[in-house]
Amino acid sequence: MELVDRYIAAVQRELPENKRQEIGRELKANICDQLDALSEQGKLTEAQTAEVLKTMGHPRKVAQQFSPSAPIVAIEDIPLLKHTLFMVLGVLFVLQVVGGTMQWLGTAESSLVGFLHYIAAGFIEDASFAFTAIVLSFWLVSMQGKTVSGRHCQKWQPQNLPKVGPAWEHISLSDVFTDLATYLFLLLVIWSSVWMSNEQLSTPTVMFSANAQQLLQWFTPIIVLSVFNSLWQLRRRVWAVELLVANIGINVAYALFLLVLAFSSPILQSTNEGVQSIATLAMLDKGLSYCLIIAALFPSYESVRDILRCRKLAK
Amino acid sequence: MTSSQLVKMRLELRRGVLVLAVLGLLKQPHYGYSLRKQLQQGGIDIDEGTLYPLVRRLADQGLLESEWRQAEGRERRYYQLSLLGAELLSQLTDEWQQLNGALAFLLEQSADTNSADINSSDKSSDISAEEV
Repeated sequence: MELVDRYIAAVQRELPENKRQEIGRELKANICDQLDALSEQGKLTEAQTAEVLKTMGHPRKVAQQFSPSAPIVAIEDIPLLKHTLFMVLGVLFVLQVVGGTMQWLGTAESSLVGFLHYIAAGFIEDASFAFTAIVLSFWLVSMQGKTVSGRHCQKWQPQNLPKVGPAWEHISLSDVFTDLATYLFLLLVIWSSVWMSNEQLSTPTVMFSANAQQLLQWFTPIIVLSVFNSLWQLRRRVWAVELLVANIGINVAYALFLLVLAFSSPILQSTNEGVQSIATLAMLDKGLSYCLIIAALFPSYESVRDILRCRKLAK
Repeated sequence: MTSSQLVKMRLELRRGVLVLAVLGLLKQPHYGYSLRKQLQQGGIDIDEGTLYPLVRRLADQGLLESEWRQAEGRERRYYQLSLLGAELLSQLTDEWQQLNGALAFLLEQSADTNSADINSSDKSSDISAEEV
Protein backbone atom coordinates (compact mmCIF):
# COMPACT_ATOMS: atom_id res chain seq x y z
CA MET A 1 0.00 0.00 0.00
CA GLU A 2 2.96 2.26 0.62
CA LEU A 3 3.83 2.06 -3.07
CA VAL A 4 0.29 3.16 -4.00
CA ASP A 5 0.47 6.12 -1.61
CA ARG A 6 3.81 7.14 -3.06
CA TYR A 7 2.40 6.87 -6.57
CA ILE A 8 -0.71 8.94 -5.69
CA ALA A 9 1.48 11.59 -4.03
CA ALA A 10 3.69 11.73 -7.13
CA VAL A 11 0.65 12.24 -9.37
CA GLN A 12 -0.76 14.88 -7.01
CA ARG A 13 2.49 16.84 -7.11
CA GLU A 14 2.02 17.29 -10.88
CA LEU A 15 -1.58 18.48 -10.54
CA PRO A 16 -2.93 21.98 -9.94
CA GLU A 17 -3.58 22.72 -6.26
CA ASN A 18 -7.39 22.74 -6.55
CA LYS A 19 -7.54 19.29 -8.19
CA ARG A 20 -5.03 17.35 -6.10
CA GLN A 21 -7.34 16.11 -3.37
CA GLU A 22 -10.21 15.04 -5.62
CA ILE A 23 -8.15 13.31 -8.31
CA GLY A 24 -5.87 11.64 -5.75
CA ARG A 25 -8.89 10.21 -3.93
CA GLU A 26 -10.46 8.88 -7.12
CA LEU A 27 -7.22 7.49 -8.47
CA LYS A 28 -6.57 5.67 -5.23
CA ALA A 29 -10.07 4.11 -5.28
CA ASN A 30 -9.52 2.89 -8.85
CA ILE A 31 -6.08 1.44 -8.12
CA CYS A 32 -7.37 -0.29 -4.99
CA ASP A 33 -10.14 -1.91 -7.07
CA GLN A 34 -7.54 -3.31 -9.46
CA LEU A 35 -5.37 -4.57 -6.59
CA ASP A 36 -8.44 -6.17 -4.97
CA ALA A 37 -9.19 -8.00 -8.20
CA LEU A 38 -5.60 -9.29 -8.29
CA SER A 39 -5.62 -10.33 -4.63
CA GLU A 40 -8.65 -12.51 -5.31
CA GLN A 41 -6.31 -14.74 -7.34
CA GLY A 42 -3.82 -15.10 -4.47
CA LYS A 43 -1.64 -13.09 -2.11
CA LEU A 44 -0.71 -9.74 -3.59
CA THR A 45 3.03 -9.14 -3.87
CA GLU A 46 4.84 -5.84 -4.06
CA ALA A 47 6.01 -6.73 -7.56
CA GLN A 48 2.39 -7.13 -8.69
CA THR A 49 1.47 -3.76 -7.16
CA ALA A 50 4.43 -2.17 -8.92
CA GLU A 51 3.32 -3.78 -12.20
CA VAL A 52 -0.21 -2.33 -11.81
CA LEU A 53 1.21 1.12 -11.15
CA LYS A 54 3.59 0.79 -14.07
CA THR A 55 0.64 -0.07 -16.33
CA MET A 56 -1.15 3.07 -15.10
CA GLY A 57 1.70 5.14 -16.51
CA HIS A 58 4.28 7.63 -15.25
CA PRO A 59 2.79 9.95 -12.59
CA ARG A 60 3.46 13.01 -14.76
CA LYS A 61 1.72 11.42 -17.75
CA VAL A 62 -1.28 10.38 -15.63
CA ALA A 63 -1.52 13.87 -14.12
CA GLN A 64 -1.34 15.36 -17.62
CA GLN A 65 -4.20 13.09 -18.74
CA PHE A 66 -6.34 14.04 -15.77
CA SER A 67 -5.62 17.73 -16.09
CA PRO A 68 -4.28 18.51 -19.57
CA SER A 69 -2.36 21.79 -19.70
CA ALA A 70 -3.70 24.29 -22.21
CA PRO A 71 -1.22 25.42 -24.90
CA ILE A 72 0.28 28.89 -24.36
CA VAL A 73 -1.03 30.00 -27.73
CA ALA A 74 -4.12 28.66 -29.51
CA ILE A 75 -3.19 26.30 -32.37
CA GLU A 76 -5.14 28.51 -34.84
CA ASP A 77 -2.94 31.48 -33.89
CA ILE A 78 0.43 29.77 -34.45
CA PRO A 79 0.83 30.85 -38.12
CA LEU A 80 -0.12 34.45 -37.23
CA LEU A 81 2.26 34.37 -34.26
CA LYS A 82 5.12 33.22 -36.50
CA HIS A 83 4.30 35.89 -39.08
CA THR A 84 4.13 38.64 -36.43
CA LEU A 85 7.40 37.53 -34.89
CA PHE A 86 9.10 37.52 -38.28
CA MET A 87 7.81 41.00 -39.15
CA VAL A 88 8.68 42.57 -35.79
CA LEU A 89 12.09 40.91 -35.59
CA GLY A 90 12.74 42.04 -39.18
CA VAL A 91 11.96 45.66 -38.31
CA LEU A 92 14.12 45.41 -35.18
CA PHE A 93 16.99 44.08 -37.30
CA VAL A 94 16.67 47.03 -39.69
CA LEU A 95 16.62 49.50 -36.79
CA GLN A 96 19.63 47.79 -35.25
CA VAL A 97 21.55 48.07 -38.51
CA VAL A 98 20.70 51.79 -38.62
CA GLY A 99 21.81 52.28 -35.02
CA GLY A 100 24.90 50.14 -35.55
CA THR A 101 25.88 52.09 -38.65
CA MET A 102 25.59 55.43 -36.88
CA GLN A 103 27.62 54.09 -33.97
CA TRP A 104 30.22 52.61 -36.31
CA LEU A 105 30.66 55.77 -38.34
CA GLY A 106 30.74 57.93 -35.23
CA THR A 107 33.57 56.18 -33.45
CA ALA A 108 37.26 56.54 -34.03
CA GLU A 109 38.01 52.81 -34.17
CA SER A 110 35.51 51.90 -36.93
CA SER A 111 36.21 48.19 -36.45
CA LEU A 112 34.06 45.85 -38.54
CA VAL A 113 34.02 43.28 -35.73
CA GLY A 114 32.82 45.97 -33.32
CA PHE A 115 30.09 46.94 -35.77
CA LEU A 116 28.87 43.34 -36.13
CA HIS A 117 29.08 42.82 -32.36
CA TYR A 118 27.02 45.96 -31.74
CA ILE A 119 24.32 44.77 -34.18
CA ALA A 120 24.24 41.20 -32.84
CA ALA A 121 24.17 42.18 -29.15
CA GLY A 122 21.57 44.90 -29.64
CA PHE A 123 19.40 42.69 -31.84
CA ILE A 124 19.44 39.80 -29.36
CA GLU A 125 18.48 42.17 -26.53
CA ASP A 126 15.61 43.80 -28.46
CA ALA A 127 14.47 40.52 -30.02
CA SER A 128 14.25 38.83 -26.58
CA PHE A 129 12.03 41.62 -25.30
CA ALA A 130 9.86 41.66 -28.45
CA PHE A 131 9.55 37.87 -28.50
CA THR A 132 8.39 37.80 -24.87
CA ALA A 133 5.95 40.69 -25.35
CA ILE A 134 4.37 39.19 -28.49
CA VAL A 135 4.04 35.67 -27.06
CA LEU A 136 2.57 37.08 -23.83
CA SER A 137 0.00 39.10 -25.82
CA PHE A 138 -1.07 36.00 -27.73
CA TRP A 139 -1.17 34.06 -24.47
CA LEU A 140 -3.46 36.64 -22.84
CA VAL A 141 -5.89 36.39 -25.77
CA SER A 142 -5.79 32.56 -25.63
CA MET A 143 -6.45 32.67 -21.87
CA GLN A 144 -9.79 34.34 -22.57
CA GLY A 145 -10.75 31.51 -24.92
CA LYS A 146 -10.42 33.73 -28.00
CA THR A 147 -8.09 33.67 -30.99
CA VAL A 148 -6.24 36.62 -32.52
CA SER A 149 -6.73 35.34 -36.05
CA GLY A 150 -10.42 34.50 -35.48
CA ARG A 151 -11.86 37.81 -36.70
CA HIS A 152 -9.47 38.00 -39.67
CA CYS A 153 -10.38 34.45 -40.74
CA GLN A 154 -14.09 35.31 -40.73
CA LYS A 155 -13.71 38.41 -42.91
CA TRP A 156 -11.77 36.92 -45.84
CA GLN A 157 -13.10 36.78 -49.39
CA PRO A 158 -12.05 34.12 -51.93
CA GLN A 159 -11.89 36.85 -54.61
CA ASN A 160 -9.06 38.58 -52.70
CA LEU A 161 -6.79 35.54 -52.80
CA PRO A 162 -3.74 35.83 -55.08
CA LYS A 163 -3.79 33.89 -58.37
CA VAL A 164 -2.18 30.48 -58.55
CA GLY A 165 1.45 30.80 -59.60
CA PRO A 166 4.95 29.39 -59.19
CA ALA A 167 6.74 29.55 -55.82
CA TRP A 168 8.91 32.54 -56.81
CA GLU A 169 5.81 34.76 -57.07
CA HIS A 170 5.67 34.90 -53.30
CA ILE A 171 7.92 37.71 -52.01
CA SER A 172 10.11 36.51 -49.18
CA LEU A 173 10.00 38.64 -46.01
CA SER A 174 13.68 38.03 -45.31
CA ASP A 175 14.59 39.44 -48.76
CA VAL A 176 12.55 42.58 -48.15
CA PHE A 177 14.06 43.21 -44.72
CA THR A 178 17.60 42.55 -45.97
CA ASP A 179 17.03 45.08 -48.78
CA LEU A 180 15.60 47.66 -46.38
CA ALA A 181 18.56 47.27 -44.01
CA THR A 182 21.00 47.69 -46.95
CA TYR A 183 19.26 50.85 -48.24
CA LEU A 184 19.16 52.51 -44.84
CA PHE A 185 22.81 51.59 -44.28
CA LEU A 186 23.73 53.24 -47.61
CA LEU A 187 21.74 56.38 -46.81
CA LEU A 188 23.47 56.76 -43.45
CA VAL A 189 26.92 56.29 -44.98
CA ILE A 190 26.26 58.73 -47.83
CA TRP A 191 24.78 61.43 -45.61
CA SER A 192 27.14 60.93 -42.68
CA SER A 193 28.27 64.57 -43.09
CA VAL A 194 24.74 65.72 -42.18
CA TRP A 195 24.25 63.81 -38.96
CA MET A 196 27.84 63.51 -37.71
CA SER A 197 29.47 66.20 -35.55
CA ASN A 198 32.58 68.05 -36.75
CA GLU A 199 34.62 66.18 -34.18
CA GLN A 200 33.40 62.84 -35.50
CA LEU A 201 33.97 63.93 -39.12
CA SER A 202 37.58 64.79 -38.40
CA THR A 203 38.19 61.29 -37.00
CA PRO A 204 38.02 59.02 -40.09
CA THR A 205 41.34 58.43 -41.74
CA VAL A 206 39.96 57.31 -45.12
CA MET A 207 36.78 58.74 -46.63
CA PHE A 208 35.07 59.14 -50.01
CA SER A 209 36.64 61.62 -52.40
CA ALA A 210 34.65 64.76 -53.25
CA ASN A 211 33.80 63.32 -56.67
CA ALA A 212 32.58 59.98 -55.24
CA GLN A 213 30.68 61.74 -52.46
CA GLN A 214 28.87 63.88 -55.04
CA LEU A 215 27.99 60.82 -57.15
CA LEU A 216 26.63 59.05 -54.05
CA GLN A 217 24.51 62.03 -53.07
CA TRP A 218 23.08 62.26 -56.60
CA PHE A 219 22.08 58.63 -56.27
CA THR A 220 20.09 59.28 -53.06
CA PRO A 221 16.67 59.63 -54.80
CA ILE A 222 17.09 56.11 -56.25
CA ILE A 223 17.86 54.72 -52.79
CA VAL A 224 14.78 56.47 -51.37
CA LEU A 225 12.73 55.00 -54.24
CA SER A 226 14.18 51.57 -53.36
CA VAL A 227 12.93 51.98 -49.79
CA PHE A 228 9.43 52.74 -51.06
CA ASN A 229 9.67 49.83 -53.49
CA SER A 230 10.54 47.48 -50.61
CA LEU A 231 7.62 48.80 -48.57
CA TRP A 232 5.37 48.23 -51.60
CA GLN A 233 6.66 44.64 -51.82
CA LEU A 234 6.01 44.20 -48.12
CA ARG A 235 2.41 45.28 -48.64
CA ARG A 236 1.75 43.17 -51.73
CA ARG A 237 3.81 40.07 -50.86
CA VAL A 238 3.21 38.65 -54.37
CA TRP A 239 5.16 39.65 -57.49
CA ALA A 240 3.09 41.46 -60.12
CA VAL A 241 4.22 42.95 -63.46
CA GLU A 242 4.27 46.53 -62.10
CA LEU A 243 6.34 45.46 -59.07
CA LEU A 244 8.79 43.59 -61.30
CA VAL A 245 9.11 46.56 -63.67
CA ALA A 246 9.87 48.85 -60.70
CA ASN A 247 12.40 46.33 -59.42
CA ILE A 248 14.07 46.04 -62.84
CA GLY A 249 14.35 49.85 -63.08
CA ILE A 250 15.89 50.12 -59.64
CA ASN A 251 18.32 47.24 -60.15
CA VAL A 252 19.48 48.60 -63.53
CA ALA A 253 20.05 51.98 -61.87
CA TYR A 254 22.08 50.32 -59.09
CA ALA A 255 24.17 48.29 -61.53
CA LEU A 256 24.97 51.37 -63.67
CA PHE A 257 25.70 53.51 -60.64
CA LEU A 258 28.07 50.94 -59.12
CA LEU A 259 29.94 50.66 -62.43
CA VAL A 260 30.19 54.45 -62.80
CA LEU A 261 31.43 54.71 -59.22
CA ALA A 262 33.93 51.89 -59.80
CA PHE A 263 35.51 53.77 -62.72
CA SER A 264 35.43 57.25 -61.19
CA SER A 265 38.85 57.05 -59.63
CA PRO A 266 39.81 58.25 -57.09
CA ILE A 267 36.97 56.97 -54.96
CA LEU A 268 38.77 57.44 -51.66
CA GLN A 269 40.87 60.14 -50.05
CA SER A 270 42.84 60.20 -46.84
CA THR A 271 43.08 62.80 -44.08
CA ASN A 272 45.65 60.91 -42.09
CA GLU A 273 49.37 61.11 -42.68
CA GLY A 274 49.81 57.40 -41.94
CA VAL A 275 47.57 56.32 -44.77
CA GLN A 276 48.60 59.02 -47.22
CA SER A 277 51.20 56.77 -48.73
CA ILE A 278 50.20 56.75 -52.43
CA ALA A 279 50.68 52.99 -52.75
CA THR A 280 48.35 52.21 -49.80
CA LEU A 281 45.56 54.55 -50.86
CA ALA A 282 45.85 53.47 -54.50
CA MET A 283 45.61 49.84 -53.43
CA LEU A 284 42.53 50.56 -51.35
CA ASP A 285 41.00 52.48 -54.24
CA LYS A 286 41.70 49.67 -56.70
CA GLY A 287 40.33 47.06 -54.31
CA LEU A 288 37.15 49.06 -53.82
CA SER A 289 36.76 49.43 -57.61
CA TYR A 290 36.91 45.65 -58.03
CA CYS A 291 34.44 45.20 -55.17
CA LEU A 292 32.04 47.67 -56.80
CA ILE A 293 32.27 45.85 -60.14
CA ILE A 294 31.50 42.54 -58.42
CA ALA A 295 28.67 44.20 -56.46
CA ALA A 296 27.21 45.48 -59.75
CA LEU A 297 26.77 41.87 -60.87
CA PHE A 298 24.08 41.28 -58.23
CA PRO A 299 21.57 43.94 -59.37
CA SER A 300 22.42 42.98 -62.99
CA TYR A 301 21.51 39.37 -62.27
CA GLU A 302 18.30 40.45 -60.52
CA SER A 303 17.39 42.66 -63.50
CA VAL A 304 17.77 39.75 -65.94
CA ARG A 305 15.89 37.43 -63.58
CA ASP A 306 13.03 39.94 -63.22
CA ILE A 307 12.81 40.52 -66.99
CA LEU A 308 12.34 36.75 -67.46
CA ARG A 309 9.78 36.65 -64.66
CA CYS A 310 7.99 39.64 -66.15
CA ARG A 311 7.71 37.81 -69.48
CA LYS A 312 6.31 34.74 -67.74
CA LEU A 313 3.73 36.82 -65.90
CA ALA A 314 2.78 38.76 -69.05
CA LYS A 315 2.03 35.45 -70.84
CA MET B 1 2.59 1.71 -43.19
CA THR B 2 4.82 1.51 -40.10
CA SER B 3 3.51 0.03 -36.85
CA SER B 4 3.76 3.42 -35.12
CA GLN B 5 1.53 4.95 -37.82
CA LEU B 6 -0.95 2.13 -37.34
CA VAL B 7 -0.97 2.64 -33.57
CA LYS B 8 -1.50 6.40 -34.01
CA MET B 9 -4.34 5.97 -36.49
CA ARG B 10 -6.00 3.27 -34.41
CA LEU B 11 -5.91 5.63 -31.43
CA GLU B 12 -7.49 8.42 -33.49
CA LEU B 13 -10.15 6.06 -34.77
CA ARG B 14 -10.98 4.75 -31.30
CA ARG B 15 -10.94 8.11 -29.50
CA GLY B 16 -14.38 9.28 -30.64
CA VAL B 17 -15.93 5.82 -30.43
CA LEU B 18 -14.71 5.43 -26.87
CA VAL B 19 -16.74 8.43 -25.69
CA LEU B 20 -19.85 6.87 -27.21
CA ALA B 21 -19.14 3.50 -25.59
CA VAL B 22 -18.53 5.06 -22.16
CA LEU B 23 -21.68 7.20 -22.36
CA GLY B 24 -23.65 4.15 -23.51
CA LEU B 25 -22.48 2.02 -20.58
CA LEU B 26 -23.11 4.75 -18.04
CA LYS B 27 -26.85 4.54 -18.46
CA GLN B 28 -26.27 2.31 -15.41
CA PRO B 29 -24.09 3.58 -12.55
CA HIS B 30 -20.51 2.32 -12.63
CA TYR B 31 -17.29 3.07 -10.80
CA GLY B 32 -14.01 3.28 -12.70
CA TYR B 33 -12.87 -0.32 -12.44
CA SER B 34 -16.32 -1.84 -13.15
CA LEU B 35 -16.69 0.40 -16.18
CA ARG B 36 -13.36 -0.82 -17.51
CA LYS B 37 -14.34 -4.45 -16.97
CA GLN B 38 -17.65 -3.88 -18.79
CA LEU B 39 -15.83 -2.31 -21.72
CA GLN B 40 -13.38 -5.21 -21.85
CA GLN B 41 -16.22 -7.72 -21.84
CA GLY B 42 -17.80 -5.76 -24.70
CA GLY B 43 -14.57 -6.10 -26.70
CA ILE B 44 -13.13 -2.64 -26.08
CA ASP B 45 -9.81 -2.88 -24.29
CA ILE B 46 -8.77 0.43 -22.83
CA ASP B 47 -5.99 1.25 -20.42
CA GLU B 48 -6.74 2.86 -17.07
CA GLY B 49 -4.62 5.90 -17.83
CA THR B 50 -7.00 6.77 -20.67
CA LEU B 51 -10.35 5.71 -19.24
CA TYR B 52 -10.30 7.38 -15.82
CA PRO B 53 -9.30 10.85 -17.08
CA LEU B 54 -11.86 10.52 -19.91
CA VAL B 55 -14.66 9.80 -17.42
CA ARG B 56 -13.63 12.81 -15.35
CA ARG B 57 -13.57 15.07 -18.42
CA LEU B 58 -17.09 13.92 -19.35
CA ALA B 59 -18.22 14.63 -15.78
CA ASP B 60 -16.59 18.09 -15.90
CA GLN B 61 -18.59 18.79 -19.07
CA GLY B 62 -21.80 17.99 -17.20
CA LEU B 63 -22.53 14.82 -19.18
CA LEU B 64 -22.14 12.58 -16.12
CA GLU B 65 -23.27 12.80 -12.54
CA SER B 66 -21.14 11.28 -9.80
CA GLU B 67 -21.35 10.36 -6.14
CA TRP B 68 -19.08 8.69 -3.60
CA ARG B 69 -20.49 5.49 -2.11
CA GLN B 70 -19.19 3.15 0.56
CA ALA B 71 -19.03 -0.46 -0.63
CA GLU B 72 -17.06 -3.49 0.60
CA GLY B 73 -15.40 -1.40 3.24
CA ARG B 74 -14.02 1.12 0.73
CA GLU B 75 -15.26 4.22 -1.00
CA ARG B 76 -15.90 4.33 -4.72
CA ARG B 77 -16.98 7.07 -7.05
CA TYR B 78 -19.97 6.05 -9.13
CA TYR B 79 -20.76 7.74 -12.40
CA GLN B 80 -24.05 7.84 -14.30
CA LEU B 81 -25.42 9.73 -17.30
CA SER B 82 -26.90 13.14 -16.53
CA LEU B 83 -29.93 14.48 -18.42
CA LEU B 84 -27.62 16.42 -20.70
CA GLY B 85 -25.49 13.30 -21.20
CA ALA B 86 -28.55 11.19 -22.06
CA GLU B 87 -29.65 13.77 -24.63
CA LEU B 88 -26.20 13.88 -26.18
CA LEU B 89 -25.93 10.09 -26.19
CA SER B 90 -29.15 9.81 -28.17
CA GLN B 91 -27.89 12.32 -30.77
CA LEU B 92 -24.46 10.70 -30.94
CA THR B 93 -26.02 7.23 -31.34
CA ASP B 94 -28.01 8.45 -34.37
CA GLU B 95 -24.90 10.06 -35.78
CA TRP B 96 -22.88 6.88 -35.21
CA GLN B 97 -25.46 4.65 -36.88
CA GLN B 98 -25.63 6.94 -39.89
CA LEU B 99 -21.86 7.09 -40.15
CA ASN B 100 -21.48 3.37 -39.63
CA GLY B 101 -24.01 2.62 -42.38
CA ALA B 102 -22.32 5.02 -44.78
CA LEU B 103 -18.88 3.63 -43.98
CA ALA B 104 -20.01 0.02 -44.37
CA PHE B 105 -21.41 0.87 -47.80
CA LEU B 106 -18.26 2.75 -48.86
CA LEU B 107 -15.90 0.04 -47.65
CA GLU B 108 -17.99 -2.67 -49.33
CA GLN B 109 -18.02 -0.70 -52.57
CA SER B 110 -14.26 -0.13 -52.53
CA ALA B 111 -13.73 -3.85 -51.78
CA ASP B 112 -15.88 -4.73 -54.85
CA THR B 113 -13.94 -2.29 -57.05
CA ASN B 114 -10.62 -3.72 -55.86
CA SER B 115 -11.65 -7.31 -56.58
CA ALA B 116 -12.96 -6.23 -60.02
CA ASP B 117 -9.62 -4.53 -60.75
CA ILE B 118 -7.72 -7.63 -59.67
CA ASN B 119 -9.89 -9.85 -61.88
CA SER B 120 -9.47 -7.59 -64.92
CA SER B 121 -5.71 -7.36 -64.43
CA ASP B 122 -5.57 -11.18 -64.11
CA LYS B 123 -7.51 -11.51 -67.38
CA SER B 124 -5.32 -9.02 -69.22
CA SER B 125 -2.18 -10.79 -68.00
CA ASP B 126 -3.68 -14.10 -69.20
CA ILE B 127 -4.35 -12.57 -72.63
CA SER B 128 -0.86 -11.12 -72.93
CA ALA B 129 0.58 -14.48 -71.89
CA GLU B 130 -1.45 -16.19 -74.60
CA GLU B 131 -0.32 -13.59 -77.19
CA VAL B 132 3.28 -14.25 -76.26
